[in-house]
Amino acid sequence: MGKENRDVRMSLQTLKVLEAFLENPTDQLSGADVMQRSTLASGTLYPILLRLESAGWFVSRWESIDPSSAGRPRRRLYRLTPTGLKRASEVFAGFSRTVHA
Amino acid sequence: MTSERTQGWMDGIAQGLIHRAARRVPGALSERLQEEWLADFAEQRGRVARLRFALGCYWATNAIMREHAAAAIPAASVANGGGNFVRYPKEESTFFTGRTVTFVLVASLHVAVFYGLAMGLGQTFIKAIVEPFELRRIEPVPRSSLPPPPPPQLMPTKFEQPPPEVMPPIESDPTESVQTAPPEITAPVVPRLPPAPVNRVQGGPGVGFPSADDFYPDMSIRMGEKGIATVKACVNGQGHLTSEPAIIQSTGSPRLDEAALRLAKSGSGHYRATSEDGHPVSSCYPFRIRFELRN
Repeated sequence: MGKENRDVRMSLQTLKVLEAFLENPTDQLSGADVMQRSTLASGTLYPILLRLESAGWFVSRWESIDPSSAGRPRRRLYRLTPTGLKRASEVFAGFSRTVHA
Repeated sequence: MTSERTQGWMDGIAQGLIHRAARRVPGALSERLQEEWLADFAEQRGRVARLRFALGCYWATNAIMREHAAAAIPAASVANGGGNFVRYPKEESTFFTGRTVTFVLVASLHVAVFYGLAMGLGQTFIKAIVEPFELRRIEPVPRSSLPPPPPPQLMPTKFEQPPPEVMPPIESDPTESVQTAPPEITAPVVPRLPPAPVNRVQGGPGVGFPSADDFYPDMSIRMGEKGIATVKACVNGQGHLTSEPAIIQSTGSPRLDEAALRLAKSGSGHYRATSEDGHPVSSCYPFRIRFELRN
């Protein structure tokens, strides 16, 4: 069984994180960006990001900037993987069916 | 100026918290989180938000250590500042995870407690706690130290001396010796017996007692009022009322109640007295007066 297929416990906070990425699935978001979109605290957000990354829903990379010229440290950017996008869409579609049933 | 100094001081504390939090995570993940958190920390606006962010990072390490402590980050990826996305696989956890250590500690504590109890540690504690039992005798308080009791209030008692019975003089033998003191007579102690049951027959309206028809109010007859009144009467041994009779249960009509009282009063002298062992005695008892309309 690959990591991409590993199930992730769907808490309300996890759904908020996924929702923040699904606004525009091609966005690459830093933790600060996700905090702003999901209104989650850092203590809740980062374990979820790492959990979803470990499960293969996200991938992350360092921002391609020169910190000295940019005048700020490089950020870690997260992006939905195709598998993560598919699974997240399924999760939200399942919720929609449940609500409208 | 002071505000900037305070902000710098608080930012220093917050950054220190982030460094400390990141160091709690083992492995290369520690370096990654430190850099990532410091970069996101720089984007927070306001001192409170920054401090809250740092505290959150410290809190986050608890969950991260549980789930990702064993995750190994390739050293190349940490050093790599380029645009390659890297996945961090979750490796198999080591034996001495936090849960394992906690379990071992708790189990060891249980074993130590049971071993101590089995070896008589409990008795040692009990001996140390329980003080020796001391029996004391409470000495009676000497009477001299007590306040003197109040003097008894004596009521003068009049003794009526019965008239001496005149007895015929007895000729005494002059040879007999004369007694100087009367002999002491002690009354025998008679045990109290329980009182014998009294055969009590309660009284009631007797012969010649007036009829309710004679006291039926005309208005009540016209209005069709009827009812039963319970009247309490106190009667002496001769069948006379000793006090005013009273209604203890109403007919429901004030007119009939008043008529019942008039009837009870007029019946004085015609009550049958209560008897105890066949003797009439004064007593109070209830009886009923029925007012009913007849066709």
